[in-house]
Amino acid sequence: MAGLSKPLPAEDRLVLLPKNPGRFFIFWQLSGGRAEAFRSGAFAPEAELRLTYSDDKTHASSHRVSWQQAGAYLTVPAQGRVYEASLHAQRGGAWEKLLESNQAAAPSAAGMAEERAYASLEFHKRSQP
Amino acid sequence: MSSRASLMFLLHAHLPYVNHPEDSSFLEENWFFEAVVETYVPIISALERLSAEGIRPGVAVSISPTLGAMLENEALEAKLQEYIESRLELIERELERAQNDPALFKTVKLYQKLYSEAAQLMHKYSGDLITPLKALQHAGQIEVITTSATHAVLPLLTRPEAVRAQLAVAAEDYLDRFNRKPAGFWLPECAYEPRLNSYLKLSGFNYTFTESHAVELASASAPNGVYSPYRTSNGLGLFARDAASSREVWSSKFGYPGDPAYREFYRDLGYDGDYESIRPYLGADGARRPLGLKYHRITGASADLAAKQYYDPDAALARVEAHASDFLARRMKQTDDFYAARGTRPLIVSCYDAELFGHWWFEGPAFLETVIRKIRQERLPLQFVTPSEYLNSCQEPQEISPGISSWGENGYFDPWVNETNDFIYPAVYSATDKMIETANRFRNQDLNSLSARALNQAARETLLAQSSDWAFLLYIGSHAEYAKGRLEDHAANALKLLTEVIEKRVDEQALARLEQQNSLFPRLDFKVFASVSRF
Repeated sequence: MAGLSKPLPAEDRLVLLPKNPGRFFIFWQLSGGRAEAFRSGAFAPEAELRLTYSDDKTHASSHRVSWQQAGAYLTVPAQGRVYEASLHAQRGGAWEKLLESNQAAAPSAAGMAEERAYASLEFHKRSQP
Repeated sequence: MSSRASLMFLLHAHLPYVNHPEDSSFLEENWFFEAVVETYVPIISALERLSAEGIRPGVAVSISPTLGAMLENEALEAKLQEYIESRLELIERELERAQNDPALFKTVKLYQKLYSEAAQLMHKYSGDLITPLKALQHAGQIEVITTSATHAVLPLLTRPEAVRAQLAVAAEDYLDRFNRKPAGFWLPECAYEPRLNSYLKLSGFNYTFTESHAVELASASAPNGVYSPYRTSNGLGLFARDAASSREVWSSKFGYPGDPAYREFYRDLGYDGDYESIRPYLGADGARRPLGLKYHRITGASADLAAKQYYDPDAALARVEAHASDFLARRMKQTDDFYAARGTRPLIVSCYDAELFGHWWFEGPAFLETVIRKIRQERLPLQFVTPSEYLNSCQEPQEISPGISSWGENGYFDPWVNETNDFIYPAVYSATDKMIETANRFRNQDLNSLSARALNQAARETLLAQSSDWAFLLYIGSHAEYAKGRLEDHAANALKLLTEVIEKRVDEQALARLEQQNSLFPRLDFKVFASVSRF
């Protein structure tokens, strides 16, 4: 992710957002203590994001990420279902759950997308001379 | 006549809140001035003309709360007046320059009429364009609805408190502005997800609009497709956008706005004019930028900007007539085809950004007026209806569960969540979470006036940080630095104010400056963000 110009408070947060039927965007922020645990090596630098189906709480997918990247795009395992995510870190070979996200529904794909005219985008996307 | 169809036009008028009272001239405030002159005044004038002639427009207009606040802002009104006067002065100079060029002279005269009419309408309503809209609604000529407080894409707000705040503030703002409760709600970017149903009903809204594939993806079958209204399980009315009638108007490639006779948007006197002549009308930095005087026509899809030919207002108006006839003929065919297949009369719902008409598509207001007028003049078996009228007169709509969707590119949330703008969400969520937490903490406490003011301003800043406009501007790469700065400033302002209240050290002077700059929602109460609110 590109950076913000202004620093944000160090807080724990994991947010899962729908992007389209095939992708979620997820981002995380860590409090000072947790960030320090990664920096000091108490946690392994590679963390794991896990997607779970919200209705039956079964595992849907796992994704390895660097704790510092702070955001990722995840492939949606199955369209039209509701998910929640969790962020895990490894300490001494054992995984610890650090954060849980909100629930987010993955849209179902519709046909005929190319036939639609999408709002004012066509006008806005033409650059000025 | 084999059938009689109902047409529903929804014009969604929205601009991000841009108010910089500290600057006598601020580039992004021109968005508002241009939209007033090119879109809002021509549309209001057309609606008033039709109404005066006994032709009831019957369209719905969504006025976003941020636009409403700007339309009522006296400082912006004064700047708008200066803007119009400055353009009229420039137009006088241009008329002199064009004296020996009849083709150019005719177009410059057209601009003189446009800006003069804007000045006259503003004068007639003492600078307040909400007044004619209110009057038209009161007379039953149109229906005015609202949208979320700062045009947040609601499915991207995961905290229920944030969604409720966007809706509650919008409902209160509408009540203050239009002296009645709003019946309809335009979902920003037509972005729908099922959890919004209950929030919309709890906020007092009767109906909303969805993109067409929300209905196509519905869990229960919707045999009439987009051609009838529906309701959700909790009784929220739903109208689905008809893709065909939208495409004809929206598409610059296949739709009417791309006609060679229509005005070319991207060729502007600000780039073409003699620099010394136009210098007084450019910004303080002297950089060339659009001045709103565009003398050329599209000419051809592949024509280079330099090869564009002069605009001919009469030729363009002839195309408006032809396109209005074509639009109505296509609706008649849609109606006949549907009637033949289903034996019932369709409802055709066409939703557009209002700013398309006039600002982007210069001839758009004339097209709109011509379409409405032709139905009466040619006694066509079509009628315009407003959403509330239709729901009040139709049979109980079928219940469906629409799918997640938007009218953005690709039909979901790609324009607002992608690599160009995803970095903003930590700031949006940081401010939002802190606002909710602080509202919960102080909601039952007696607060001194300064703390209450600071919390209320923090709520304004949080709402402004949630606006969809910052993500969209970053995505299209237009005014990206401004968008990033605005987003960051609002989030930082909210966090700073909330911290100051908690630490009992509110900076009153800084607060007053923010209250002056971001002065929308005068009755806003920070408790609207509390987890257990007034719902």
